[in-house]
Amino acid sequence: MTINLFQDPISSYRESDTDNDLDNEIAELERKLAAAKAKRCKHPRSRLEGDSSSSSSSPERPLLAPNLPNHFHLLLSDSALPLGSFAFSSGLESYLAHGHKSNPYHPHTSFAAFLPLSISSYASTTLPFVLSAHRDPSLSNLVELDDAQDASIICTVGRRASVAQGRALLGIWERSFSQSLPPLGSSVVTAAQRGDLKAFGLLVKRGSSKEIPDASAHLAPLFGAICSVVGLSLQQTAYIFLFGHVKALVSAAVRAGMFGPYQAQKILAGETVQELITEMIKREWGTKVERAGQNVPVMDLWFGRHEVLYSRIFNS
Amino acid sequence: MNSPFPKSTSVPGQGHLVAKLLPEGISGLETFTYQYPLKLISPSRPSEDESVLIFLLSYGGGLVAGDKVNLKVEVRAKAKLTIVTQGHTKVFTSTSPDIVTRQDMHVHIASEGALCLLPDPVQPFAGSVYEQTQIFRLEEDASICLLDWVTRGRTARGENWSFVRWVGRNEIWTIPAAQEDGKTDSRERLLVRDAVILDSNRSHPELAKLRDSMHGVGIVGTLLLRGPLMKSLGDFFLAEFAALPRLGARDFRSDAAKQAAALAQATPREKWRAERLVMENNSKLLWSAANVRGCVVVKFGAPEVEDGRLWIGSMLQEEGSISHHFGDHALMCVR
Repeated sequence: MTINLFQDPISSYRESDTDNDLDNEIAELERKLAAAKAKRCKHPRSRLEGDSSSSSSSPERPLLAPNLPNHFHLLLSDSALPLGSFAFSSGLESYLAHGHKSNPYHPHTSFAAFLPLSISSYASTTLPFVLSAHRDPSLSNLVELDDAQDASIICTVGRRASVAQGRALLGIWERSFSQSLPPLGSSVVTAAQRGDLKAFGLLVKRGSSKEIPDASAHLAPLFGAICSVVGLSLQQTAYIFLFGHVKALVSAAVRAGMFGPYQAQKILAGETVQELITEMIKREWGTKVERAGQNVPVMDLWFGRHEVLYSRIFNS
Repeated sequence: MNSPFPKSTSVPGQGHLVAKLLPEGISGLETFTYQYPLKLISPSRPSEDESVLIFLLSYGGGLVAGDKVNLKVEVRAKAKLTIVTQGHTKVFTSTSPDIVTRQDMHVHIASEGALCLLPDPVQPFAGSVYEQTQIFRLEEDASICLLDWVTRGRTARGENWSFVRWVGRNEIWTIPAAQEDGKTDSRERLLVRDAVILDSNRSHPELAKLRDSMHGVGIVGTLLLRGPLMKSLGDFFLAEFAALPRLGARDFRSDAAKQAAALAQATPREKWRAERLVMENNSKLLWSAANVRGCVVVKFGAPEVEDGRLWIGSMLQEEGSISHHFGDHALMCVR
């Protein structure tokens, strides 16, 4: 037997010690697994029907318990969520109208050029509101964020788009989601959270007659708060929010005749979109709402000038 | 007591300015202090009675990297203050991106007071890092006219949005009438927060470079208007915006017919508008106007700095209420 002089005796002792521990742990877990499998065989009721023969031998089992966050992840990221996003092109239509051969500074319009600018601008102006509402979905914070966003959207068209979608989301929450949540006690959504969103809804309805309403229901803070309440993580929420923006843009581009549905899916599935969204979330992760702002000034011009287009197929 | 030299404060870049209504009914200065690198000048003989004029300057006509200017402005009840500059505010190159040049302005305008701030644009040099925060707190019936604009840099030296970072933030708040104890009241409310963040640091290679994302624009500006004295000017911008020809509409008339129609237009305003629209078209100037919570926000951008200046000057002069309320000197930077 050769002795390695450079071997640290203490660490080798520790290694063998952990090895023993691990072996013990594995043995213990295997024993538990066998016991659990035996139990499962005694309760055939809990097996999936029609799959009983294979499921008993397969270690992979389907998720049997309902999972609220997972379920809402799918619901809130669905294009069929009736927010009316299809009515808004987020400045794309105006951008196309402003691009003209006679303009030496803006001769070509392309979706490939517009998309990254739009994601970056949207993240810079709006994402901090989503993140902040998710971190603190209380009524007071939601009202404050909603008011701050109302003050920072400096064009009529953008405000209209944000409020229309926010109110639609509030309506979906009130009429659909909140009424189909599992009963209190068995659910991740607490009574206080339900109460806060309800109170916010009342505030929106009450304030609509004032010159400066108490609450307008802008999309970003409300989206963050609802995602938080149903248990989505901060990262999931930010990703769904930005991806929703991309989906709406791509869909608007298809309807504006820029490309077809296959190209649309190719863009949506592409690495560029994934990386851009991830980078934008990273960039805005720590941005306070007071520091949010427009980083593509011409976007404000395109947005604002959507109103002077002769013909429009979108509301923004 | 009435020393011809303003008192100096001890903190670099600090300034304090108080405008009040003098017994004879014209606006004057109550307090007027500044410290290097900030410099304030008030012409010894007021040329006009409508408002008191202050030149906001810096030694050498620009801000060196790391300069921090912090100006506190108070406009007392019914007083009118005009602040202008002399030439572009240059922002010199920073040796390191960590060295930020800052200009902050905190303004309080008492009831029926008014401030007109129509300075020259900020001209950030290549490699500069600049942040500007301007916060305006308005009591009831106070008025503000604020122009904030930034250029692509020194075009003669090939600069084209070549700075490291430029951040401009403007906030308008309404506050209840002043309280003795100086406590902040819960009824303080943010009306508008306008923020522009121009950062050369791209977080992803797919994102356009800063200069490409500007789409050929060489100057971008924001005009914020609020209060009873700005009502007619605000309405004017909104009406002119609504009167813009529809983009993509087609005019099937012949050139001769168009000219005949233009000549037939009787009012001087319509003639002026027709000329302005030609100018907007030729200079590729884009603008928009919106009413945001009782404030009018005008955004504009143009490839050439001078075209931007001509345009905003033409709008303000045509409407005329700035000259009327503050005197012609208020418009000296936009002519």
